[in-house]
Amino acid sequence: MDKLFVIAIGGTGMRCLEAFTHLCSIGMFDNQEIEVLTLDTDQNNGNKARVEELITLYNRIKTNGAMSGGTPNANTFFSAKLNLHRFSTNYSGPGRESYKNLSKISTGSPEQQKANKLISDLFLDNDTVQEFDLAHGYRAQTHLGSMLMYHGIIEAARNILKGTNVQIEERELEAFMNKLEQAGATARVFIFGSVFGGTGASSIPVIPKALQDFVKIRSKGASSIDFSKAKFGSTLLTEYFTFAKPDDQQKATKNDRIIADSSFFPINSQAALQFYQNDPTVKKCYKLLYHIGWPIESKKVDEGKSSKTITGGSEQTNPCHITELLCACAAYDFFTRNAGFDNGQADYLYKAVEFKDNSFNFSFDDFVGKENNAGENFVNRLGAFFSLAHISLSLNGAADGDIGIKGFINRCNEQKLDQYSSITDIECKEINEYFKLFAYAFDDAKFIPGWLYQVRGTVAPGRFIFDSKAFLNNKTELKNIDVGAIFQDEKYHWSKGGLFGSRYDSFVKKLINTGPKDEQKVNTTKEKFLAHIYNALTISQNFNLN
Amino acid sequence: MQSVSAYIISIGITFIFLLASALISTSIKFEGGSHPKDAQKRKTWFWILALLNPVVIFLLGYFAFKPDANIMVVNKYVSALGVGTAIGFFVYLIAGFILSKLFKNGKLGHWF
Repeated sequence: MDKLFVIAIGGTGMRCLEAFTHLCSIGMFDNQEIEVLTLDTDQNNGNKARVEELITLYNRIKTNGAMSGGTPNANTFFSAKLNLHRFSTNYSGPGRESYKNLSKISTGSPEQQKANKLISDLFLDNDTVQEFDLAHGYRAQTHLGSMLMYHGIIEAARNILKGTNVQIEERELEAFMNKLEQAGATARVFIFGSVFGGTGASSIPVIPKALQDFVKIRSKGASSIDFSKAKFGSTLLTEYFTFAKPDDQQKATKNDRIIADSSFFPINSQAALQFYQNDPTVKKCYKLLYHIGWPIESKKVDEGKSSKTITGGSEQTNPCHITELLCACAAYDFFTRNAGFDNGQADYLYKAVEFKDNSFNFSFDDFVGKENNAGENFVNRLGAFFSLAHISLSLNGAADGDIGIKGFINRCNEQKLDQYSSITDIECKEINEYFKLFAYAFDDAKFIPGWLYQVRGTVAPGRFIFDSKAFLNNKTELKNIDVGAIFQDEKYHWSKGGLFGSRYDSFVKKLINTGPKDEQKVNTTKEKFLAHIYNALTISQNFNLN
Repeated sequence: MQSVSAYIISIGITFIFLLASALISTSIKFEGGSHPKDAQKRKTWFWILALLNPVVIFLLGYFAFKPDANIMVVNKYVSALGVGTAIGFFVYLIAGFILSKLFKNGKLGHWF
């Protein structure tokens, strides 16, 4: 079995990683321990903070006592073990704020300074590109970004080799690289990022080479990454959102003279795709590139927000989009496929989705394909997790601060199944918090859509796996939601249970009559509890999973 | 002979009450929510029927099945009916307890 690695770069990469983490939580990556690296220039980026918080929460849910992050399981929720590593290039110290300062072009002999300036001015605009504040990323200046991201990784390798003043994030990168080096030819590395923006677009072409050189530098040439054996894959994600155009007042500030302008995203994407089609380094390093795009009008992400263009930082918390879920599904394909890695150069993959009446209609198989019933497995797991989220958040009131998942432990206790009573209230609260990020929460009376609601919002009124009645956002209606009837196809609804029954009643009967199984490889009480609920939900949904 | 019929009536009615209690418990749906009341409802119905059982045994035995015979026979029947009523009450509880433990993970498990 290959060892799996995920690298998320830039704001879009972080949101793809968010989707990937949710795929892990519904149980799509059985028996896997996945090394995750978040890579950004912007330490305070809101999307980065959000996904790191999500993975930390995921790990707390899997943690048991001293066993941080738990162990990999199968056919259950939170089945994969995720090891999070964080690295960000350092542009905050004195002399590191802009390209001009960082590259020290004004040092050395007068001849060197002259040559430095000439070559810099040849590629990078003197007043703008060389001077903008790098703390908010590369602002769609990919020619600068590629060079600086490569530099950031190489600088980390040199610092680690020297062993003095090694930063925490450099240690985290080193830990990730140790695992990658150990995996050798069995490594499968998938990279999330966009091709139209700044940090991701700058980094995707250079990351494999930068990682290879990191290994070479740190090992003093004794070790390397063999691109003919290690498998690298990535998304070529073209533009799918827009934001407010920066006005002259904002651009008048020296630090903000360069701001990514979303009106250029389509042309950026076009240029990037031409580059990926022809660049020999990309073709050599990558085995598979998944072309993902949004061929209709892009949605504005800053509607109702500040009129100023958000360049990065904690304010950059763009909502989630279905293209990011498709990127996560591309990672699933890359990690689970057995063929397609023998080509001498990168292969480009894509597929299409039905577009009718001005909206997309997604079916089961549009996400992870249908080989080995993958589509049914995906929808079964997503549906089970969504139903469980509804039960915990609305029926058991966790969205309002009530007990949520603890209700299942109480129910098991009522049914004299008291093996789960050692699960603490804090542990239950963590699971409830995860559901809030996955589905929805309430801030007093205000409805806050979580990841799945946001994703569905980008498809509506088109078809998206579940019935529109599964996406209620009114507190009173949610209290009475039929959690067993969330699918469009009635054959996946929970049984009504006869004359005196109900869907929920028949589900609880299944909960009582089932339990965790050996093949699920669950060891701790919490893992057994989640596997138990997973089994009852799976039986209730009647999918053909064989 | 009359005392035997009093005992049969008691056991028969007790069996019917147990069956009714089980049917009521089964028909009460499992509830979701943070404070489900279904378990309490089943328990309450079990104990209501437990109290009603001896009353019904005695009243039905006395007014519907009392033999039309001499006072000696009637007295014997009534005293057997009294004993049968008590037996019916305890049989209901003991059988309920056994059923509750046999199906402890199901709805009947809520009785005890």
